[in-house]
Amino acid sequence: MRAARTLDRPATGAPRPAAPEGLPLTAAQSGMWFAQALDPGSPALNTAECIEIHGEVDPVRFAEALHRTVGEADALRVRLVAPAEGESGPRQLPIAIEPPGQGFPLHTADLRGERAPDATARAWMRADLTVPFDLATGPLFAHALFHVGDRRWLWYQRVHHAVMDGYGYSLIARRVAEVYTALAAGTAPGPSPFGRLAALVAEDAAYRDSATHERDRAHWEDRFRDRPAVPTLAGRSALPSLPHGLNGMGGTPIALRHSAHLGPEATERLRELATSVRATWPDVLFAAQALYLARATRSEDVVLGLPMMGRMGSVALRVPGMVMNVLPLRFTVTPDSTFAELTRQADLGIRDARRHRRYRYADIRRDLGLLGEGRALVGPLVNVMPFDYGLTFAGARSDAYNLSAGPVDDLTVNIYDRADGTGLHIDYDANPALYESAEVATHQERFLDLLTRIADSDPHQPLTALSPGTEEERERVLVEFNDTAVPVPPTTLIGPIEARAARRPGATALVAGEVTLTYGELNARANRLARHLAALGVRPGALAAVAVPRSVDLVVALLAVLKAGGAYLPLDPGYPAERLADMLGDAAPVCVLTDTATRPSLPDTELPVLTLDDPALRAELAAHLPTDPGRPLTPQHPAYVIYTSGSTGRPKGVVVPHSAIDNRLRWAQGQYGLTPDDRVLQKTPSGFDVSVWEFFWPLRVGATLVLAEPGAHQDPAALARTIREQGVTTAHFVPSMLRLFLDEPSAAHCTGLRRVLCSGEVLPRQAAEAFHRTLPGVPLHNLYGPTEAAVDVTHHACAPGEDGPVPIGRPVWNTRLYVLDPDRRPCPPGIPGELYVAGAQLATGYLGRPDLTAERFVRDPFAEAAGRPGERMYRTGDLARWRQDGALEYLGRTDHQVKLRGLRVELGEVEAALAADPHVAAACATVREDRPGDRRLVAHVTPASADAAAEAGPAPTRGPAPLDPDALRARLATRLPDHMVPSALVVLDAFPLTPNGKLDRAALPAPSAAARPGGRPPRGPREETLARLFAEALGLPRVGVDDGFFDLGGDSLLAARLVARIRATLGVDLALGALFRAPTPASLADLLHGDGGEGALGAVLPLRRTGDRTPLFVLPPAVGLSWCYSGLLEGLSPDQPVYGLQARGLNPGETLPATMEELAQDWLARVREIQPHGPYRLLGWSVGGVAAHTLAVLLQEAGEKVELLAVMDAYPADQWRETPTPGEADALAALLRMAVDDRPDGQAGPDGPEGEPLTRERVTARLRAEGSALAALDDDTLAAVLDVVVNNVTLMRTHRHRVFDGDVLFFTAAAPRAEHWLSRDAWRPYVTGSLINRDIDCLHPQMTRPGPIAEVAEAVAGYLGEG
Amino acid sequence: MALTLDQIRADVADVLGEDPADIPDDENLVDYGLDSVRIMTLVERWRRDHGTEVTFVDLAEQPAIEQWAPLLGVRA
Repeated sequence: MRAARTLDRPATGAPRPAAPEGLPLTAAQSGMWFAQALDPGSPALNTAECIEIHGEVDPVRFAEALHRTVGEADALRVRLVAPAEGESGPRQLPIAIEPPGQGFPLHTADLRGERAPDATARAWMRADLTVPFDLATGPLFAHALFHVGDRRWLWYQRVHHAVMDGYGYSLIARRVAEVYTALAAGTAPGPSPFGRLAALVAEDAAYRDSATHERDRAHWEDRFRDRPAVPTLAGRSALPSLPHGLNGMGGTPIALRHSAHLGPEATERLRELATSVRATWPDVLFAAQALYLARATRSEDVVLGLPMMGRMGSVALRVPGMVMNVLPLRFTVTPDSTFAELTRQADLGIRDARRHRRYRYADIRRDLGLLGEGRALVGPLVNVMPFDYGLTFAGARSDAYNLSAGPVDDLTVNIYDRADGTGLHIDYDANPALYESAEVATHQERFLDLLTRIADSDPHQPLTALSPGTEEERERVLVEFNDTAVPVPPTTLIGPIEARAARRPGATALVAGEVTLTYGELNARANRLARHLAALGVRPGALAAVAVPRSVDLVVALLAVLKAGGAYLPLDPGYPAERLADMLGDAAPVCVLTDTATRPSLPDTELPVLTLDDPALRAELAAHLPTDPGRPLTPQHPAYVIYTSGSTGRPKGVVVPHSAIDNRLRWAQGQYGLTPDDRVLQKTPSGFDVSVWEFFWPLRVGATLVLAEPGAHQDPAALARTIREQGVTTAHFVPSMLRLFLDEPSAAHCTGLRRVLCSGEVLPRQAAEAFHRTLPGVPLHNLYGPTEAAVDVTHHACAPGEDGPVPIGRPVWNTRLYVLDPDRRPCPPGIPGELYVAGAQLATGYLGRPDLTAERFVRDPFAEAAGRPGERMYRTGDLARWRQDGALEYLGRTDHQVKLRGLRVELGEVEAALAADPHVAAACATVREDRPGDRRLVAHVTPASADAAAEAGPAPTRGPAPLDPDALRARLATRLPDHMVPSALVVLDAFPLTPNGKLDRAALPAPSAAARPGGRPPRGPREETLARLFAEALGLPRVGVDDGFFDLGGDSLLAARLVARIRATLGVDLALGALFRAPTPASLADLLHGDGGEGALGAVLPLRRTGDRTPLFVLPPAVGLSWCYSGLLEGLSPDQPVYGLQARGLNPGETLPATMEELAQDWLARVREIQPHGPYRLLGWSVGGVAAHTLAVLLQEAGEKVELLAVMDAYPADQWRETPTPGEADALAALLRMAVDDRPDGQAGPDGPEGEPLTRERVTARLRAEGSALAALDDDTLAAVLDVVVNNVTLMRTHRHRVFDGDVLFFTAAAPRAEHWLSRDAWRPYVTGSLINRDIDCLHPQMTRPGPIAEVAEAVAGYLGEG
Repeated sequence: MALTLDQIRADVADVLGEDPADIPDDENLVDYGLDSVRIMTLVERWRRDHGTEVTFVDLAEQPAIEQWAPLLGVRA
């Protein structure tokens, strides 16, 4: 209905040839035009407002007033057309506007009969707002007039932002009111007040040619030369303002709006405050928003967007059009400054901006090079509209409401002053791609609360008095979230164990391999040693060092120290001797407990050393009483001292009192309820505090402690075995280790687990999900805590199917957690701050370090305010934020923020973006300086598991999903500003870990540490496979056969991972230690040789000997070698043995077979040696496919069953018979194709440059360059291979097929090929059953490349029903 | 009470938080920090105290004291 006829060209007389029609756009208009052109169907550039008229309106007269006004506003009566060829930009052309009723875009409706007239009108408006304008057609405005009640009307107008801004609306509304009033009074309206569009355009052009323009440019460039990364409330800094519809949301995001109201009293007090500091009330609002933003983002440097009317001293004052601009308004918010100072910054900043107001925001960004990076220069926009229209329509007063202020990149705070004295109307408009609705509401609520508190406070007080959250939020985070008080008896770590031993002495306390100890036995042994220790001086307050590997003796030693009343100091014998010596010197224990094996790795010491397995000591101990010794021990005495390294400085000993760890263990029992039939795995080294609960929790509650073998804590297979065989119900994993464990196939069989606890580092959601998939129904708990607060202070039960980061959860018993801003005020939910811990579990402090203790354990002001003075809180240095539900999210370290080339980079943010990628499991971002002066952002990532990849789409292979660093970078670049996209991405199989199982950042390999290309080629398929697996484990593109695993950045955990992969792939029994003895692919292949059987040229190539399934025999292609099938191993079950058959004639003295029949007979004998009777499984590619068919027929004729005949793109002899027999050049080409094309990166074809014949020399050189195993063949063998090729293709051409009785699983190389005449149907006469075809999207020579061969393996497994 | 040039200058200096001596008659007051809120303050103040009839647009269009004087009935 609102379509208006438009004139394509103005009615002119004689055509004027040169001058283009209409006018160019102003810079302001151009910005909006381009924004729309990027997404033509988007309604995001619609602006709209609604005026409520309280009185009687004559709709006909109103339409007339509207039509007249539009007729006067030539800036409104345009359409905007794209530049024609040769023109510099879009142009605006005038359009004609029809009168009301004849096409004028005005919708009129009487809604008084509706049940809810206002709601109906609003719904209509909302729907209308989603209708995009067609800029090239126009008109670019639409009106509606609703009669919604007696003496109540709503006038709605929607205008495209390219032709209208907020001030323009006021001009139009004022004129309509004026004309309407005049018409109603029967008088002539005054002359048009409007200026002309042409004047606006001319002024804009003049400005751009002026010296002022240049001066303004220089000003802004200077002001923002440092290109600040601007914080936003969305927590994603400077997200590119993507064209709407391209921002991943789909659809058309119209800003999310929340409206609120600041009451008249508070508003009035803000005005008074403004006057008192000689500022305007908008200055106060800017300062308040800057303060809020700084607090909410933990930034001192914030930039607001300042929308400028842009009309002062300009003809634009009278033009209803698009003029407004946005300018950056920068604040420095330091804690010791005052609100008055902040207001002054706003005032001065706005004055400063106003002097350079005409320079466009987009041009500033362009000048600073931010456009290309997609970076914003401003955070939230604060749009203050100081005037109410105060219009009357023939005496009827009115109120104006903005409905849409145009597109919102991040967040816009629109503030309207209500002239009727009702205070301020405050709309929050947010980009729905960045903000949840509830989040916007919370920010708005807090901002209003902050305004109220500012209004009530002295503006000359330091800003520290103003916290970002509301009083209600403060109460919630301090009290409600910390409501953890539970009375516990004042016991020690050891007391409950002795009580348990006295009550049930016969119960099983400890299992270590074959050894089992009852509570009575364990207690007696510990008591004897305790009495001995007491005699040496171990007593309450004294320390005894324990350097014993995981063993019964270790448990006895720890209990004995505690029983004597002392505190134990664990020493990890794996640490450097110097560090151990430092620890002994620092802690000054009474004595050192160790064993014979460990003694040599300890530093020399003057202290008494007790060697627990020394027969003399054992004899001495036997003389002591086995009863519990007495000791004057209180809960305040230290129970253990554990050294932590910390990020800087020398290691420090954390002294933990009995009361702290007792609380931790009582909470755990209350939370998880171990029973006497529970069995807890002890695998954490004693130097890591998780071990404390592993050792003592089960013994305190009558459960059984199961010791993993020494060293087993890094061997997933060994752990899984122990868990299964010992019936372990409770185990702990550091998340990195959990991932390795879950990759271990036998982990899924650990179904006896009743709970798994994780702590020590961030638990990635994908790891938690992988856990739930592998061990469904087993509860997984995420815990967090520093050593300084008795192991753990938070806990969270993970539920399957949740998304977002896994929280660290809620506080444990008698523990308070505070998330504090830099002024140590509580942060409300959602706002990051530093985590502090207070309550029962705090350590006493650092041993002998009162300075450091005072620095990290500070006065708890919240306890003091609650009437409990003297309590302390521990400053963790960790960044966290509360969720609304009272769970905490861990965000990284407070020192995790770095500056790179002057830009602030929050590494956690980079890591979060990486981890959000579906192909990435975990990520770590660091700033490295691998070459002096070359600081760059580097990310290390591990690929998502096959399961996770399978969720995203069909996975081509088992094992880790392919992760292409270049593609990942490209995806990242769409999510992060350029300076936050890592310049190098390193894909790792697993992250290097410290002895405690935490990520070892220092050990991350440098991105340049890629293996040297070249070097010796592999000598056979096994070396080739090993080199590939090494590369995969290390995250390197290629590893040479003589490259050392540990030289390339491998560590023990990576080694565990690699060994597991080698075991599964090659079916060999390989101990973890083997990799340390033989750390290169070549040496490892040698080591395996005894197990790996014959050489690479033998008649049978055992690709995998192990497994209890029926063996699969694979028959070679023309070259006669079955090396190419090694890629099948990874796709088939580890239980599937695979044997490659190889051609006769490769070794000296062997003769070539004369017929295919003879060849097959040969292989029949080999097959029978390995598997005397059927059913048989056969597979062959190319010539091997023909041979497989032949062999299958022979087997059937011998009365055997053949359950699988798989033929990979081979065609019967009939189809080849007429083609010429290949010569040596063809054989060479075939050889090259097999070697080169089956490499993943073998993009280049095998053929030489046009016209150059292939020679043996060139082929050998090429093979060597490609790192192919074939290149290692000596000249004689290469000659033999070529003879085999020529012979094989000849045999194939002369063969006469017989009939195979059964089905054939056929694989077609489905990419178009030259030999289009080849057809699998040619097999029909030779097969009684079906030809079950599967197309593989590749060429014939590519069929054993990793992707295709994996598809083949999958199909074979599926066919056999053993997938 | 009739408005004078000195009074105009004093009122402008007041809303800008400046010394009247620093406010020139012939320069664009926007460069001195004049904005729409302050112009409205002046419009209201002069209407209340001196009965003038100028509008926001009148003052904002040419924001300099010498341009305002005739609009406010003051001889420059």
